Amino acid sequence: MHLVIQALILGSLTGGVYALMASGQTLIFGIMKVINLAQGAFVIVASYLTFSLFQMTGLDPFLLIVITTPIMFILGVATQWFLLKPLRPDDAAELSLLVTFAVALGLEGALSLFYKTTLRSIMPGYENHSWTVWGYQVNEVRFYAFLLSIAMLGILYLLLQKTKFGRSVRATVQNPMSAQLLGVNSKAVSAFGFGLGVSTTAAAGAVFGLITPFNPGSHYDLISRLLTIVVLGGMGAIGGSVIAALMMGVGAALVSALASPIWSDFTFFIVLLLVLLIRPRGLFGAKVRGAL
Amino acid sequence: MTRINEPLLQLKDVTAGYGAGLVLKGVNLDVMPGQIICLIGPNGAGKSTVLKTISGLLGIKGGEVIFKGHEISTLSSKQRLGLGIVHVPQDRSLFPAMTVWENILMGAFILKDQKLINERIEQAAELFPIIIARKNAAAGSLSGGEQKQVEVARSLMLDPALILLDEPSIGLDPKSRKLVFESISLLSKAGRTILLVEQNARSGLAVSDRGAVLEAGRVALVGTGAGLLEDPEVSRLYLGASSK
Repeated sequence: MHLVIQALILGSLTGGVYALMASGQTLIFGIMKVINLAQGAFVIVASYLTFSLFQMTGLDPFLLIVITTPIMFILGVATQWFLLKPLRPDDAAELSLLVTFAVALGLEGALSLFYKTTLRSIMPGYENHSWTVWGYQVNEVRFYAFLLSIAMLGILYLLLQKTKFGRSVRATVQNPMSAQLLGVNSKAVSAFGFGLGVSTTAAAGAVFGLITPFNPGSHYDLISRLLTIVVLGGMGAIGGSVIAALMMGVGAALVSALASPIWSDFTFFIVLLLVLLIRPRGLFGAKVRGAL
Repeated sequence: MTRINEPLLQLKDVTAGYGAGLVLKGVNLDVMPGQIICLIGPNGAGKSTVLKTISGLLGIKGGEVIFKGHEISTLSSKQRLGLGIVHVPQDRSLFPAMTVWENILMGAFILKDQKLINERIEQAAELFPIIIARKNAAAGSLSGGEQKQVEVARSLMLDPALILLDEPSIGLDPKSRKLVFESISLLSKAGRTILLVEQNARSGLAVSDRGAVLEAGRVALVGTGAGLLEDPEVSRLYLGASSK
């Protein structure tokens, strides 16, 4: 029982980090119907950015998110504006898969040139600290990351639900032509939305670099997990992807504790297969088209 | 400024289409201020395309679109919206997962003055109380007729000079259809200028001051709403009655 509860704690904390990464992916899919295969690579870019800035400045990696977030936002807007916007609307959904995969490979190549393929870690000194709460270990970094994920998801929620920009994003998702007729600049909303989705990788990248050694090729593993979470949650449903991320985090930790860590990663793919076979619209797929 | 005896909108020899083909082959039409004009015609005649060329959703290939005396065919749809041309498209245009209130606010998206927005909501609610009564309901949960009422109420948020209504009764049950035509009558009494495209020609012409018949991309006939309803040829072709 102790092992199960410990796995639940670890899984929930890890799931929170995946929720942050997947929410950006879901936002991008919701607004533009683009499956962004570069989201994992953007996370790794953010990890390297945090790594380099930490080495240069010595500032805490969590504080560096303030600097990396606007950088990742600009990178996202530039990707959308120069590589995705020119695609013909009729072919955009299919071609964007190829384009974002090419972006992922390009980023991996660029990072490999600059940083080589050596595994790196961000080590501020407290990366292995843990608290003992009623006999259970709570990793300090994962706990901060979990709190950060909740804060970032809260900001994302408030932005989408309580601001005029958020209304224009949700309107564009639900009925693009109608939104345009009401004066919404759908091109600007798409670019800003893509940038916003990519900007979530700044926090996710910092946390990923703190809890996992990474190299430029780490994005393959990451994107497969993210896609599993997004499909499980229901494409385009941010709330669904958060719950799915927590479920997957807990599921993988339980498998790791009760069976073997080798089978832990495989849990994601078994779940993906089952969802695609039994409930293709995902556990929390929106009944209303594009309901963010 | 448009004088009362000058057209608010003029289409002069407008040609337009999708790809290489032409749907509109020289449309001429005047819309007078304060009037409702109903465009009827067979499927594929280009009725919805006419509205798209006016709102800017579709560019024209020839001719002129003149609004309040100015040529507007080079303006974007957002610029035309700013001039007071509001297009309510054929498909349900509400945002189904957003509340009625949020949908109404989206109608005022290009406005910045919150006081003005509140005034417009009050004015729209006088004609369509549903926007207050069901303000927290998801728009997608309303009946077809109720949704159309909210759409029309939303179109009033910019105090539009011209409302383009595309097939507002399409796909609705009889009760909802009745609600829609009642809404159009309310707008008429409020002095709004409306260009209405309606497949249900009898009901459309009945609420309109004038009507125009569009055939194969050209306006074939123009008359008063009542006059067209009594025209034997129009009656035979579009109103489902046999000729006398």
